[in-house]
Amino acid sequence: MTQYVILNKTDLDEFISRLAQIKKTVAPVKRGVKNYAFEEVTSGKNVAVKYIPTILPPKKYFLPQTETLQQYDKSKKTWNAVMEFQEMIIFGVHTCDLAGIQCLNMAFSDKPKDINYLARKNRILIIGLECNDYCDEYASCKVMDNHMPNGGYDLFFTELDDFFMVHINTLEGEDLIEKTGLFKEAKEEHKKALKAMREEKRKRFKDEVNVTHNQLKPLFDKSFEAPVWQSLEARCVSCGNCTNVCPTCYCFDIEDEIDLNLTTGVRKRRWDSCQNEPFAQVAGGENFREARGERQRHRYLRKFKYPVDKYSRYFCTGCGRCSRTCMAKINLKETINELAQGAK
Amino acid sequence: MKKPKVAFFDFSCCEGCQLQVANFGEGLLDILNLIEVVEFREVMSEKWEGDFDVAIVEGSITTPHGVERIKKIRDRSKVLIAYGSCATIGGINGMKNKFDLDEIKEYVYKDGAKYFETIPTRPVHQVVKVDYFVHGCPVYQPEFVKVLKCALQGIPYTVPDHSVCVECKLNENECMYDKGLTCLGPVTRAGCNSWCINNGNICYGCRGMVSNPAKNGQMDILEKHNIPLDWVVNKIDMYNKPRELEETETNGKKR
Repeated sequence: MTQYVILNKTDLDEFISRLAQIKKTVAPVKRGVKNYAFEEVTSGKNVAVKYIPTILPPKKYFLPQTETLQQYDKSKKTWNAVMEFQEMIIFGVHTCDLAGIQCLNMAFSDKPKDINYLARKNRILIIGLECNDYCDEYASCKVMDNHMPNGGYDLFFTELDDFFMVHINTLEGEDLIEKTGLFKEAKEEHKKALKAMREEKRKRFKDEVNVTHNQLKPLFDKSFEAPVWQSLEARCVSCGNCTNVCPTCYCFDIEDEIDLNLTTGVRKRRWDSCQNEPFAQVAGGENFREARGERQRHRYLRKFKYPVDKYSRYFCTGCGRCSRTCMAKINLKETINELAQGAK
Repeated sequence: MKKPKVAFFDFSCCEGCQLQVANFGEGLLDILNLIEVVEFREVMSEKWEGDFDVAIVEGSITTPHGVERIKKIRDRSKVLIAYGSCATIGGINGMKNKFDLDEIKEYVYKDGAKYFETIPTRPVHQVVKVDYFVHGCPVYQPEFVKVLKCALQGIPYTVPDHSVCVECKLNENECMYDKGLTCLGPVTRAGCNSWCINNGNICYGCRGMVSNPAKNGQMDILEKHNIPLDWVVNKIDMYNKPRELEETETNGKKR
């Protein structure tokens, strides 16, 4: 199998059209004044090749905002499992979001396996897209070590001069190359161009905070009583934006929805957020994370401490969405720097 | 099973929320399979003399006569649902509470003012016990159906106590603040599926405020976006003025 092929930039539109004929294809598209969102496309016309991270990450295709898990019939006393999935190709996934999907895969493959998630994941093909430069000032992908491609895709596109260098990572990816039939073999000059771009990129991308990748975990290990959470307490408004847009937040709530016949119905899950007021509220009205500062601390520890203890992996991808979308302008990089400053 | 007897009533309101039921379309047939509507002035002329299994009340209480009437309805109803912003939080009628009542009465009715009695606008639960709340101006039909199903099953319905932003993000709308507009989403409780913002409008706060809005944080946001405080207070008061009359903190936890 050839590892690298090239696609002329002028052929991108046709490539997306042909993908869309194979199966449902989604790609980043401009949304509103300054945002982007993954949407279904039928041609390359509206696809944004240069884009800042979308409002919601591609997580929405792996773990939909609401999803039916079971259906029941009270009269027959039956419960049946339901699987909802769709064959799909996602085009244009940045390395930060590839990392996000890898994190979700880890969490949902852990026992007990989440069959609904895994069934869906196995039907989604992923085409990555490299960021040759920073998207904006909110990103911290270098310190999270997600600025370079690190697997998790079927095909991976890198934009160079007048062509895309395409890395083939799986048999399914190779299949797409053959079926669309627009690719040429990469020659030595193309590989050189990729190498040169990556060298330049390594120089441009620097740790975005005042600590290194490996210092983050020990920093958060000792952060429980840090004053920075008090500052977040005063600023956070609990809108839940940070967790909803996070590529690795996967908390959900379960809700039964009965039909109007009051006999049959479905059990659904929908996204929930640790930032929402009632998230940690239990019977009797007690809320064990009542203060916003505690909830924010929990969010950070769920990215920089707990998953590292459990999966040996940071669950922050450095995409910057939480900071970009925060109503109160709480900034992840600033929080980390303040923590580091206080730890000195 | 005998169908529960359901009645609709209106107080100070535009009756638009009842129109949401009248305009329900085909889904209304499913609802009518489940309930017997015995009184509903907007769509039928029949009246009912007996008791109600469920009373659905639109409108806020703004006159002494209203107080008497709602008390009588409450006495005849097993379950009472406050229906629409006017009934659940006072709504638009609450703007009256910003003024001296006699002055505003003169302003509205001129020479006829002497024929009208007026009291500060109150949502229904500030006058009688309310079992279920369907917020919104108008009510969001899917939520009304949800509440109705809960009421008929005798189980509680919990109004979401997180902000509209949550649903708005799940719908992947561009933030109104990114467009340079002031939106009440961050302080307003969800449950409407960010209906207005999905359709290009801002949130007006018609569902009432979350139980624990972050005052300091919200002030920071206004400052950052250069939005004067009184603008926002005016916006909030458009629907939420009667919140000042809450005797105790009847916050979202109970609803």
